[in-house]
Amino acid sequence: MRLLELTCDHFRCLNNLRFEPGPGLNVIRGDNAQGKTSILEAVLYAATSKSHRTSTESDLVQRGESIFRVSARVQRDAREVQTEIAWSHGAKRIKVNGVNQTRVSDLLGKINVVIFSPEDADLVRGSASNRRTFLDMELSQLHAHYLHALQRYRHAMRQRNEVLRLPNPDGALLDPWDAQLAEHGTMLMRERRRFVDQLAPLANAAYKAIADNEEMSVVYRSDTKEDVPLIEALAAARSSDIRQRMTTHGPHRDDLEIVVDDKAARQFASQGQQKTAGLAIKLAELELMRERTGEYPILLLDDVFAELDTSRSREVLTTIPPEVQCLITTTDFALTEELVARKPRVVEVTKGELTVS
Amino acid sequence: MLFESPSVDRLVEAFRRLPGVGKRTAERYALHVLSAPAEEARLISDAVRNARECITTCSQCCTLTETNPCGVCANPARDHSIICVVERPSGMMAIERGGAYRGLYHVLNGALNPLEGIGPDELTVERLVRRIEAGDVNEIIVATNATAEGEATALYLSKRLAPLGVSVSRIAHGVPMGGGLELADGLTLSHALQGRTRLG
Ligand SMILES: [Zn+2]
Repeated sequence: MRLLELTCDHFRCLNNLRFEPGPGLNVIRGDNAQGKTSILEAVLYAATSKSHRTSTESDLVQRGESIFRVSARVQRDAREVQTEIAWSHGAKRIKVNGVNQTRVSDLLGKINVVIFSPEDADLVRGSASNRRTFLDMELSQLHAHYLHALQRYRHAMRQRNEVLRLPNPDGALLDPWDAQLAEHGTMLMRERRRFVDQLAPLANAAYKAIADNEEMSVVYRSDTKEDVPLIEALAAARSSDIRQRMTTHGPHRDDLEIVVDDKAARQFASQGQQKTAGLAIKLAELELMRERTGEYPILLLDDVFAELDTSRSREVLTTIPPEVQCLITTTDFALTEELVARKPRVVEVTKGELTVS
Repeated sequence: MLFESPSVDRLVEAFRRLPGVGKRTAERYALHVLSAPAEEARLISDAVRNARECITTCSQCCTLTETNPCGVCANPARDHSIICVVERPSGMMAIERGGAYRGLYHVLNGALNPLEGIGPDELTVERLVRRIEAGDVNEIIVATNATAEGEATALYLSKRLAPLGVSVSRIAHGVPMGGGLELADGLTLSHALQGRTRLG
């Protein structure tokens, strides 16, 4: 998949912007707060109608303005697809190939992107909820039925927890919600385990390539053993759940265990290792998406070189398959020989304006 | 708000209590009632008051009815050994529209919903139990909605009623997912009733 053209009006500090990246590597260079990251954010927004930096869309509109518009034109296989999102006074209008869409789900999957940004460091060093969110986001994009099960699971859990808060919770009132938690939770855990099993070897391969043969592993961790049906785990935990007035077993308590160089990455890895591990997971996702769609998604790397030493930085670029279209932001970029060989397109961003170097 | 008038505000608020009516629609209704001839407004308010005064709940099946017991419960031609359990009178009306079901009903007045403080005591579960204990009934069909709450209620009932020696089944849901019975057409419901599965 290749981004042919991005246009933005009043999106953050970008106005009247038109960007035509080349195939392969694109370097977006500029000082801080000039709009580099906003360009990647705009690509992500055109693909998903979501930002990785904010969930408040009014943050995205240029100061003093009340509307913004972002549009991306991509080539996938032999076809061209264009998406446009216009935001006006709090209301959002989505178009795909010029046709209005009523649901965000009609936009998803038209343009596939993978982004790695400083916020993704939380994937490795943040709390378990960051990693569960990652799994839920990825799997929801891959299968519509996953999102459906996730919503029903969360709803059943809110109902069950409400019963647990009653003065004397009656088992007969917990049973029906246990049944729903077990039905949907089992599916969520099965899909997550399958996804992690596919992701882990790819992440390790990417990690090894960047980190000079250091190893990395990713394992799905759950208090509910794989061979114990969730309904039985819930039954076994019932009296302690009643005491604690919360649901203590199920996918909402699970985690991804990321190990780097034989150490738990969350507590014991260096910042560079944590960042590399997060990046390796994103690169693995790139491969998984290619397996699923037959095409690499567009790769967005935001400030990926900060906290990485020069050898890792160089390896990051050589690890990315040459057929991937990649947009990289950086404050400082030295054109090494390997990079020159890749014929990157380099643009400068100053106060939201692009100049081609 | 339309005008600086507390009585108009109260009218808009009253319409907003109706299911599916938002602020804009409520204002439109209020405007209609106020700008139409006074006779029109009286017609509506009288109809509401009269219906509310005439209608009571059936002492047997708990549906809304003008006679007690209701027409279905009082009909000797219906099969008094089968009870179909629905959340609301609207579910019962939907199944009656299908025309194929010949048994009786029981209206629960909702579904289990802990988040909204609705437990078995807020529903007519114990009255259903007493109906079964009184004899004659040997089959219960649970036709609660295809929502999380409807499914939870079905499972709860299957366990609650099991010791009473009746067979309990759940209607096969050709009923739209997440939807109420009133959204399904009569034919779909007739099929759903025939395709019921044994619970518990
Ligand atoms: Zn009746």
